[in-house]
Amino acid sequence: MAWDFAQIHQGVHQDIEGVHDLQALEAFRIKYLGKKGLVSDIFDSLPRLSPEEKPLVGKQVNELRNLLTQLINAKKDEVQQTKKSASSPFFDVTLPGIGWPVGHRHILSQAIDEICGLFEKLGFAVMEGPEIESEENNFEGLNIPADHPSRDGFDTFYLDVADPGDKTKKLLLRSHTSPGQVRIMKAHKPPLAVIIPGKVYRPDAVDASHSFMFHQIEGLLVADDVKFFHLKGLLTTFCQRFFGPDIQMRFRPHFFPFTEPSAEVDISWKHGKKEWLEIMGCGMVHPAVFKAVGYPEGKYTGLAFGLGVERIAMLRYGIQDIRVFFENDQRFLKQF
Amino acid sequence: MKISLNWLKDYVAVGIPGKTLAHKFSMAGMEVERIYSVDGDMIFEIEVTPNRADCLSVLGIAREAAAILGKKKEFPPLSKIKWPSKKFPVTILDKEGCQQYIACVIEGVDMDKTPLWMTKRLKSIGVRSINNVVDIANFCLMETGQPLHAFDYDKLSGQKIIVRRAHAGETIVTIDNVERTLDPSILVIADARQAVAIAGIMGGKGTEVTAQTKNILLESAYFNPILIRRASRKLGLSSDSSYRFERGVDPGSVKTTAERAVMLILKNAGGLLVQAADVRVGKKHMEKPVISVSCEAINSFLGVQLTSAECQRIFTSLDFVVDKGDKGVWHVCPPSFRRDVVGQEDLMEEVARIIGYEEVPSRLPCISATNVAPDPRRQLRNQLKIQCQAQGFDEVVSYSMIHRSDLTKAKLDHLPSLRVVNPLSQDQEMMRPSLFPSLLKIVQMNMNHGEKDLKFFETGKIYMKEGERETLAMIMAGTRTQDWRKPQGGEEVDVYDLKGAFIESVGSIQHPQWVVEPQELPIFEPRQGAVIRDDDKHIGFLGKINQTILQQFGIKQPHVFYAELDLEAVYSTVQSPPPFASLSEYPAIVRDVSLAVPKSIFYQDVLNVIHRQHIPILSKVRFVEQYLGEKIAPDRRGIVISFIYQSSERTLTEQEVNTAHEGLVQTLARDCSAMIR
Repeated sequence: MAWDFAQIHQGVHQDIEGVHDLQALEAFRIKYLGKKGLVSDIFDSLPRLSPEEKPLVGKQVNELRNLLTQLINAKKDEVQQTKKSASSPFFDVTLPGIGWPVGHRHILSQAIDEICGLFEKLGFAVMEGPEIESEENNFEGLNIPADHPSRDGFDTFYLDVADPGDKTKKLLLRSHTSPGQVRIMKAHKPPLAVIIPGKVYRPDAVDASHSFMFHQIEGLLVADDVKFFHLKGLLTTFCQRFFGPDIQMRFRPHFFPFTEPSAEVDISWKHGKKEWLEIMGCGMVHPAVFKAVGYPEGKYTGLAFGLGVERIAMLRYGIQDIRVFFENDQRFLKQF
Repeated sequence: MKISLNWLKDYVAVGIPGKTLAHKFSMAGMEVERIYSVDGDMIFEIEVTPNRADCLSVLGIAREAAAILGKKKEFPPLSKIKWPSKKFPVTILDKEGCQQYIACVIEGVDMDKTPLWMTKRLKSIGVRSINNVVDIANFCLMETGQPLHAFDYDKLSGQKIIVRRAHAGETIVTIDNVERTLDPSILVIADARQAVAIAGIMGGKGTEVTAQTKNILLESAYFNPILIRRASRKLGLSSDSSYRFERGVDPGSVKTTAERAVMLILKNAGGLLVQAADVRVGKKHMEKPVISVSCEAINSFLGVQLTSAECQRIFTSLDFVVDKGDKGVWHVCPPSFRRDVVGQEDLMEEVARIIGYEEVPSRLPCISATNVAPDPRRQLRNQLKIQCQAQGFDEVVSYSMIHRSDLTKAKLDHLPSLRVVNPLSQDQEMMRPSLFPSLLKIVQMNMNHGEKDLKFFETGKIYMKEGERETLAMIMAGTRTQDWRKPQGGEEVDVYDLKGAFIESVGSIQHPQWVVEPQELPIFEPRQGAVIRDDDKHIGFLGKINQTILQQFGIKQPHVFYAELDLEAVYSTVQSPPPFASLSEYPAIVRDVSLAVPKSIFYQDVLNVIHRQHIPILSKVRFVEQYLGEKIAPDRRGIVISFIYQSSERTLTEQEVNTAHEGLVQTLARDCSAMIR
């Protein structure tokens, strides 16, 4: 071979390394690509070569020329960029960016939305009812008669206003979201599938797990053939979706005046501490409730459930004190 | 209620460890809340639900245990006592209040120590030993659930018992040494002279049995649960007896318990049963329902597959009497102690409870459709919340009740507010008529923590005589946004920031029809407050909070801004979907005007003049800037307004724009006393 291309390449790379300004780059160009440069010499030598060597050398010299053009262009950019950078003003792109920080939704309103959303996906409609209620809707309509021990769990705040429906009674702050059931059923015929979120009030002394105001979510499903095993199915699905598949549940018989059979639902984490935490009450709608809203006897069956939002949020996020929800410390609000 | 495992074992051979039994109780509806040991005995604390008065005794729990475990009950044999022929005089004057009254007079009792086995049983569940007679009464109460009371017979005037309502103002000193004033709503046990016991609740000090007592009168009765409950609440006095009476005792055990107690007294304290009475009035409380149900109906409702024999066994284990009727229908009669079982649904629960809820399968219901449309307000509210968030505001949730003084401090005491009749503290006395005090308190608390840049919003109810109204409140203070490029790390917010955030947020659900109208309000600084007016209704207000109010709430930062809006008014006027305005393809022509207007003229006045001209080709008016400086008379300010002329049908000519614009400018000069600069 007349030309040692390997050695030429090595020389090219060595030379370009040593180039740091445009003047040296021009000298480099002339050395290789100039009229009397190396590439030109190689081309000139072609007619003298053997027919076997000619195409090989031709190919390699073309490659060499392309490489040199590339190297020269790249070096030119590099030299110009270095020059510009030296004259540019100071800039530190690692300083903090300036945005318009968005606000945060309160964790209770997020939890309510999430829970309602899960039930909406199962076919429920979200409805709301008033916080100021009558005794009739809060108690009697739910099979909680006056002077009955079943009222013991429902200490209630009364207001200094007479009930327009019964002037002998005062209006009250609902002590649970269940009066929403009565309102919905009085206004609509089955089939019904509703979720009723809202604030409820009970004169409980405030401590880490009690608040005189808290949030409940009520569910009601009424149709021709709602059965007890639907209650288990529905709430199991809800808990698995809300708390994740790592959840264990149990249904325990309990008593609520407005459902029969009634149950409490406990959950526990498969890999967590072996303890059961009560999270909601539920049951099959009591026939007395259907009777109170004027549904024909024996025509419908239904299920109902109620859960405390604060309690569920405390369990899910590991919050120890219920009061933190209502203090509205920015450091708390901005965590969610 | 406390239950001793050893005592329980007297009546049912449990045969499983205590902890396992506790779990079984819990899973059958008798929730064991705590287990602890006393002298080698295991004590269960059981939460007995209000419907299960029958379980407020060892025998009641033993019945449950037998049913759950499928074991036999070994109850103490009924005491056969010889009833004396001499009738003790008992008069029931209040037939509604007392349906049965048994009195047994035992003469010559020896007030002595109680047998050790009995004091041990009582001690295990925390009942203090007093003397043999009282201990026996307590023992029978705990064993059977039927309250008893022993009087010192010699201290009863006229040796008779009258069951009546108390006279107005009648007093009694109860055995806890408290004098109590009674009224006719309260049922009492009286002798010839006066009340000697508050029926079903507590006996009187004057007729209490003591170490000196020789002769006793033992009472076992059935009192009306409602009367007992009302009296107990009214007097603020409850006891083991009242707790059971108000839940309803077993009418079937009034006599058997009396007999058991008499037998125990005769055996342990001696004496002779010399007189007795068993007076019954009315039979209603003794009536037992008969419930018709089929195994098929039970299986269908619960979603289980029990055989007829299994169902029957469950009922029998609970002492229910089952009569077979036609076509697989059973007539089920619950025992006298199960007064909670009145309908089919109750039988369903009994079956589910005894087989265990865990045996019921789990199925998703097929929810085909619901007759209720979702509440549209919820969606609007959520949209509003997202926009408030986008404006940088954090959502808060605060209490609906506030302290009366919060209203005064916030200069809102003129608002008619609802009052809570029975608050636990003064902090909960008033239903808030505005969200303002709540948000001020939140700002104050956060500022105390050293936070200066605060933006909060809440959507919550306010309460008035006419009812509750959903309301939006926004409050802000501090820096607009943290910006290290600006002096002091950012610019401080003013009323315009609040107004902008507010209008952007609310505008997302309703194109505002309302105007922000300057008005002096006590809660705002002079000239920096406004009401929000929709036609002639005031639906909100916004402005810079009055300095005195901030000081009253302990807020040291002087620049805090607040807006409140009645969302009910917004919800009721929301148009959905919003109307579409076509996009013009023709060029817009912009004319700027610089005016010097008197300071008495608000920008809104200028806008009103412009809008009154109804210029069809004027498509938009944009405020550009305000000038308050030396180059203008002190009673005037400079404003620059951009007028954008555009038609959706054609390209406007220079001439028609000029004509319209000049006319407009002249009108402004005339109607707003403006000078063109």
